[in-house]
Amino acid sequence: MYGSIRGFTMRDLPVALGRLLRRQPLGAAGGLIVLALILVALLAPRLAPHGPKDAAFAPYLPPSAEFPMGTDQVGRDVMSRVIWGARLSLYVGLVSVVFGITAGSLWGAVTAYLGGAADTGSQRVVDAVMALPPIILALALMAALGQSVNNVILALVVLLTPTAARTIRSVALGVVASPYMEAARAVGASRWRIICRHLIPNCLAAYIVLVTTNVSYAIVVEASLSFIGAGAPPDEPSWGGMLTAGIQALETAPWMVFFPGLTISLAVFGLNLFGDSIRDVTDPRLRGGLG
Amino acid sequence: MTTKARRILAALALLTALAVPGVEAQDKPRPGGILTWFDYGDPGRLDVHAESPLVVQQATAGVYSGVLHYDPDDPSKIAGDLAERWTVSPDGKTYTFYLRKGVKWHDGQPFSSADVKASFDRILNPEFQSPKCGASLKPMVAGVEVIDANIVQFKLKFPAAPFLPSLASAWCRVAAKHILAKYGDLNQPEAQIGTGPFKFKKYERGSVIEWEKNPNYFIPGLPYLDGVKQFILVGGPTQLAAAKASKIMLWDAWPPMRKTQADELARARQDVDIYQASINTIFLVYLNSQKPPFNNPDLRRAVNLAIDRQELVAKALEGAGVPCAILDPKLSGDLALPLDEVNKVPGCRQPKDGDIAEAKKLVEKHYPSGVDIEVAVRSVGNYVDRAQLVIAQLRKIGIRGTLKTHESAAGYAAWGKGDFTMIATQDRAMDVNDASGVFHIAYTTEGGSNYGRMADPKVDELAERALKESNRDKRRQAYWELQRYIFSRGDTPTIAVAWVEGWFFTDKKLRNYKPGLTTYDNNTFMKVWLSQ
Repeated sequence: MYGSIRGFTMRDLPVALGRLLRRQPLGAAGGLIVLALILVALLAPRLAPHGPKDAAFAPYLPPSAEFPMGTDQVGRDVMSRVIWGARLSLYVGLVSVVFGITAGSLWGAVTAYLGGAADTGSQRVVDAVMALPPIILALALMAALGQSVNNVILALVVLLTPTAARTIRSVALGVVASPYMEAARAVGASRWRIICRHLIPNCLAAYIVLVTTNVSYAIVVEASLSFIGAGAPPDEPSWGGMLTAGIQALETAPWMVFFPGLTISLAVFGLNLFGDSIRDVTDPRLRGGLG
Repeated sequence: MTTKARRILAALALLTALAVPGVEAQDKPRPGGILTWFDYGDPGRLDVHAESPLVVQQATAGVYSGVLHYDPDDPSKIAGDLAERWTVSPDGKTYTFYLRKGVKWHDGQPFSSADVKASFDRILNPEFQSPKCGASLKPMVAGVEVIDANIVQFKLKFPAAPFLPSLASAWCRVAAKHILAKYGDLNQPEAQIGTGPFKFKKYERGSVIEWEKNPNYFIPGLPYLDGVKQFILVGGPTQLAAAKASKIMLWDAWPPMRKTQADELARARQDVDIYQASINTIFLVYLNSQKPPFNNPDLRRAVNLAIDRQELVAKALEGAGVPCAILDPKLSGDLALPLDEVNKVPGCRQPKDGDIAEAKKLVEKHYPSGVDIEVAVRSVGNYVDRAQLVIAQLRKIGIRGTLKTHESAAGYAAWGKGDFTMIATQDRAMDVNDASGVFHIAYTTEGGSNYGRMADPKVDELAERALKESNRDKRRQAYWELQRYIFSRGDTPTIAVAWVEGWFFTDKKLRNYKPGLTTYDNNTFMKVWLSQ
C-alpha cells in the first residue's frame, strides 16, 4: 500500500531488524547497551542501593565494596546517582527527541506538501534558527526559562525541531513527487488524507532514524548544559551535573568524574551504534552494499 | 583564642617563615611590580557605602581612604588614615578628628572636612540603605559636624565602645563630595575617585579589575606596588587552577580554601605559605518570615530543629568551623555563650533524632503530606554543595526543597527584595571585629543583612543595651542574655549554622602583607611589596 522513495516500507521493519541482528553486530551491541540503559532507568528504585539525594555518608569515600563508585563531595553514593541519572538522561533524551523530532517532522512534511510561500517561509525560519550555535541557543533559553529538567527538554525541543523539519522536508519532497501521490490526487483524495495516509507514513523510516540518532545528541546536550551549570538543578542526579561536581575534586576524588563520564560515553556510544545501524538498514544505498 | 590572637598567630607564623635563613625578611622594601589576586564574583555595582558583598570591598579597597583604618603594620590596632589624630570629649559622646592637610583626590581636587561630612551624611541618612557602615554606625551616631576645613566632629547618641572600631572599618570610606554630587552614587567605574594609595584603572565586567599606583598619595613613598590586578574568578576549580598556575599571589579572602584544595595547592606549589585561619564570617540560613510557609513560626521552629549544624561543618567546611554559635568564643572571647551550653540547645544538640522527630511533627501539623519549597542560593563558593546538604536534611522532616541558583549579584538583589522562601546558605562576614557585629548585621530589625525580616523588639532592645554597655562584665551578661533569648525563641528566621574557618595562602615573594581582623580590612596593599 505504501510506496517509498527509497524502497523501504513499514512492512519491511521486522525483516530489517532481523537483518540488523545478523549483519550489524555492532548495531546489535549498541541495541543491547540501549536496552540495558532502559532497564537501569526503569528499575532505578530497585537497583540503586541508596537514594540519589541522600547525603548520609562521609564525603569523598573511594570506591569500595559498600560504595562501588565511591561517594561525592556531600556524601552521596555515586553509583546510586549514576543509576538514577540514567532515568533522568533517558527521560530528557526521549521526551525531547519525541517532541522535537515529531514536531519538526510534521512541520517539514506538511510544508513540503503545501509548497510555495508556506514552504519557502518555513525554510527561512529554519535557516534563522539553525544559524544560531546550538549550545548558545540552549544557554540563552535556559537563562530565560530558568533551571529545571522540563526547561532543558523545552530547550532541546527548540534545538531539534528545525533540524528535523529540514531533514524530513527533503524526504517528503521526494515522496510528494512520486507517482502514487499523483494517483491519490487524481482520484480526488483530500489534502489531509494524502498527508496523513500517504505522505507521513512514507517519511516514517527517516523519522525513526532521526529519533534514534538524536537521543544521544539530546543526552550530550543535557549533560553539557548541566556541566556548565545551566541544565538540571544541581541536586538532580544528572550525569553532566555530576561531572561538574567531580571537576572540583579531580585530584582528591577522581571517581566522581570517572564513573559518570564513563556512563555518558557508554550511553552515547550505544545509542550511536544503534542509530547508525538503523540508518544503514533502512537506507537502500547502504543496504545494498551489505548484500 | 580571640580572632585578634588567631590573626596575630597567623601573621607571626608568616613572619617566622620569612625569618628563616636565606629568606630576606628584613630587607628594604622594593618598589614596583603588580600584585595579583582574585574576586570570587563580579561586583557589578561598586558603591562601597551602599553595597555589602566582599567583592565590592575588594574592588575598591585601595582606591579610598577612611577617617580611620586598621594599621597596616599591626591590623589589631586602629590608626588614623585621613585623620592625623583625634580627641574624645569627657562624656564620651563627641569625637573630634583632625584631618591631614594637602590631601588631593585622584582627580586633583582638594580634600576637606566637607567630603567627610558629605560621605557620612549619606551613610547615616535613614532613607539610604547602607548595609555595612550605615548598619553599624546608625545606632550610635547622631550626626557629623564640620568645625573647619580640617576638623570634623562625630556626635554620638551615647558613649559607645564599638564606635572607633566601626569607623575604622573598610566599609566606612570617605568619598568626594563633588563626585557624589556629579554621579549621585558610587556605582560606576568613573565615580571611583578616592584619596587612597591606588587609582581605579580598569574594570572589565566578569574579567578583571585593575588599580594603578597613585603617585600623589598623601604618604610619601607609598605605595610600593605599581598596581594591583584582581581577576574575577568564579567557582572553586577556576580559583584553585589560577592558584596552582601561579596566576595569583594571594588567597586571603572569602571563600577560603577547603582542606582538600589546600593539600592540592601544596602539592603543586612550593613557593607559597599555606595557613589555616578564621575569617570572622558566620554561615547563616535564612527563612523568609513574611511568606508562606515560613510566616508560620512552627515551620521556622521545625527548620531550626532539623538543620544539622555539625554535619554541615563536617561536610561543607571539611571540619573547619564552629557549629551552632551565634558568637564564636575564638573571636569574641567571653562575650560568646560557652560552647558547652550552646551545644545543648534544641537544634544543636546531638544526636539529632529527637529534634528531627519533633520537627517532623511540627511540619505534619500544618502539612500532613509535606510541603514543597524553593530553596535559593547564590552560585558562589561551595554554596551549591551546602544547599544540597540543607535540602537533604529538610527532606527528613517533610520539607521538599527545589534548588534555585542565582548569580552572585542577582542573588543579593533577590535577598534584599525578600524575593525568596529560604536561603540555604549565606555567609556574612563581620565588618567590625566586635561582638555587636553579628546582631546588627543579621538579627536586629534594621540589620543590614536581616534578609529573613526578623523583627523582635526584645532582640533590638537587648542588642542596643549590650552595644551601649561599657562595663565588660555587664556587657558579657547582656550578650549572654541576648544569645540565650535567640536560642530560646527557637523560631528565628536567621539560623546560625557555624563560624567559618578555612585555609589561605600567600606567595613567598609577597612581603609585609598582614591579614586584617576581618576579611574586609587591610586590603589596600599600601605597604605591601614584592621581593622579586
